[in-house]
Amino acid sequence: MLNFIVKRLFSGLVVLFFISLVTFIVLMWIPGDPALLSLGTDATPEKLAELRESMGLNLPWYEQYYQWLTGFLVGNLGNSYVFGEDVFTLLVQRLPVTISLAVLSMAIAIPIAIVIGVLSAIYKEQWIDYIARSVMQLGDAMPQFWLALVFLVFFSAGLGWFPVAGFTPVEEGFFASLHSILLPSIVLAIGQIGPLIRIIRSSMLSSLEQDYMLMTSVNGFTKFRSIGKYALRGAIIAPLTIIAMQLAGILGGAVLVESIFALPGLGRLLLMAVEQRDLILLQGIVIFVTGTVVVVNMVTDILYQIVNPMIRFGGSHE
Amino acid sequence: MMNRLLHLENLNVKDTHNHELVKGVSLDLYEHEFVGIVGESGSGKTLSVKAALHLLPNDLGVTFEDSEVLGKSIIDLSDHEKRRLIGSGIGFVPQNTVAFLHPMIKIKHQIGDAFIYHTKANKKEALQKAEELLVKVGIKEPKRVLHSYPVQLSGGMKQRVNIAMALMTDPKVIIADEPTTALDTVVQKQVMQLFNDLYTNDGVSILFISHDLKIVKRFCNRIYVMHEGKVVESGYTSEVFADPTHSYTKKLLRLIPSLKSGRTRRLG
Ligand SMILES: Nc1ncnc2c1ncn2[C@@H]1O[C@H](COP(=O)(O)OP(=O)(O)OP(=O)(O)O)[C@@H](O)[C@H]1O
Ligand SMILES: [Mg+2]
Repeated sequence: MLNFIVKRLFSGLVVLFFISLVTFIVLMWIPGDPALLSLGTDATPEKLAELRESMGLNLPWYEQYYQWLTGFLVGNLGNSYVFGEDVFTLLVQRLPVTISLAVLSMAIAIPIAIVIGVLSAIYKEQWIDYIARSVMQLGDAMPQFWLALVFLVFFSAGLGWFPVAGFTPVEEGFFASLHSILLPSIVLAIGQIGPLIRIIRSSMLSSLEQDYMLMTSVNGFTKFRSIGKYALRGAIIAPLTIIAMQLAGILGGAVLVESIFALPGLGRLLLMAVEQRDLILLQGIVIFVTGTVVVVNMVTDILYQIVNPMIRFGGSHE
Repeated sequence: MMNRLLHLENLNVKDTHNHELVKGVSLDLYEHEFVGIVGESGSGKTLSVKAALHLLPNDLGVTFEDSEVLGKSIIDLSDHEKRRLIGSGIGFVPQNTVAFLHPMIKIKHQIGDAFIYHTKANKKEALQKAEELLVKVGIKEPKRVLHSYPVQLSGGMKQRVNIAMALMTDPKVIIADEPTTALDTVVQKQVMQLFNDLYTNDGVSILFISHDLKIVKRFCNRIYVMHEGKVVESGYTSEVFADPTHSYTKKLLRLIPSLKSGRTRRLG
């Protein structure tokens, strides 16, 4: 187990390294001058040169990357050009918004997907199943930005049920905060629900066909009992891993939703960093987000080993 | 006339391509009988006994003229009655495949389920009973087995757990589909002895599928011989073995010369 964790950790670090390197190189190649962007077009050439020098922009890319990397290794993500602030501080400020969005959207998507997925497997080829499949396809086909705009126009601007923009921090009341991110979370959840239903439905279907289900008939259990105790348990593994993998998708969706709903989260910060060519800030966000995804996937892999007796005890046949 | 515990008349099973898998099979099991079903692989033995318990998947085309379980016509029963009747009255030992035990549930949490469900016993009583039965089927460390997941057990162990599980509700009928194939000869003897004890001492009736003609000859008082989806011969074991009428049965018996020469009492 320890061996597995170390291996997993190592491969995670390798991924992080490559991603940071690639981001850096790509951004170096994009035309545009961060110093000019941060000073404005009426800046004097002397000032520009001075700033470039102090930002280290005159160094070759690999030295800039090296500086960033050594800073990162001692826990310093550097200073944002645009905000003039420590990148880590900026991340911590924006994080609550994105985390709330991710958590709430999962909290909406997962229970609904479980109910729909399980029912559609049990009533395969019956009307519940057809409805479920339509929901899946609708969720897949609906572009999230379009959905976000429609929701915004209809529920916020039109009906006035939700704020048009902005985030209410939890300190100002839990429900107020929830209310401020409910609509964008629903948009995110709709984007997640298709794949979730699909995996729950298919693992449930395969569980229902297993031999242990035959034994529940032999034993004369009610459908409720045989599904509740036996079928569901046999269907748990695949969805668990998918849920972890979807985190990356949620973070991607968050960028979009946050910019449409004007929520001050990581996604919007990322967009700003790209627009302003704020290389250091962007690098910090990318590393942070990929790091989170890598860590979450690692934790799931480990949990997967613990939850699944077939893996946990797989090697110990008589 | 003795009580008829299982009755299946003119069973036909077709697969999704309309290919006939079982053709006009009729089976009976009476009280105080130990009945064997023999036949080569694919002859429809498993399908027939599963059909008798209404366990076949819906995608197979199953028809029959009559089907009784424990004296009750199955078509007349409500779902609830059917579940209770089969769940508590019949012990089914499935043919050895990998997954009749739930892989994600410890043995102790599944072996007693039917017992608790049908007799309203508590968990502790169920575990105690399970432990006794596990010892009876030749498991030396029943506690360890109870605390294991199926994947931690060998094939033979799992099969014995399945047998013990089938006995939990003290069923009147045991249907065992090649219950001893994964077991070594010592345990095999032990399990057959257990079935025989249940049959002679506890009055349990047994329907027993086997490839092993020696075992069938020794234990069963009546047999069915199946071939290509049909019952080609049936009757008292001694008569069938002494004077097989169907060519397939003759061939089958010829394959095991020691049977005809009467040196069959070595087993047990
Ligand atoms: N669910 C199913 N769908 C389609 N065909 C099936 C199904 N189950 C069994 N069959 C086919 O029906 C035939 C009879 O199968 P069955 O399992 O009854 O044989 P058997 O006599 O028990 O053989 P064995 O001794 O190998 O267990 C086989 O050809 C098998 O491939
Ligand atoms: Mg079979």
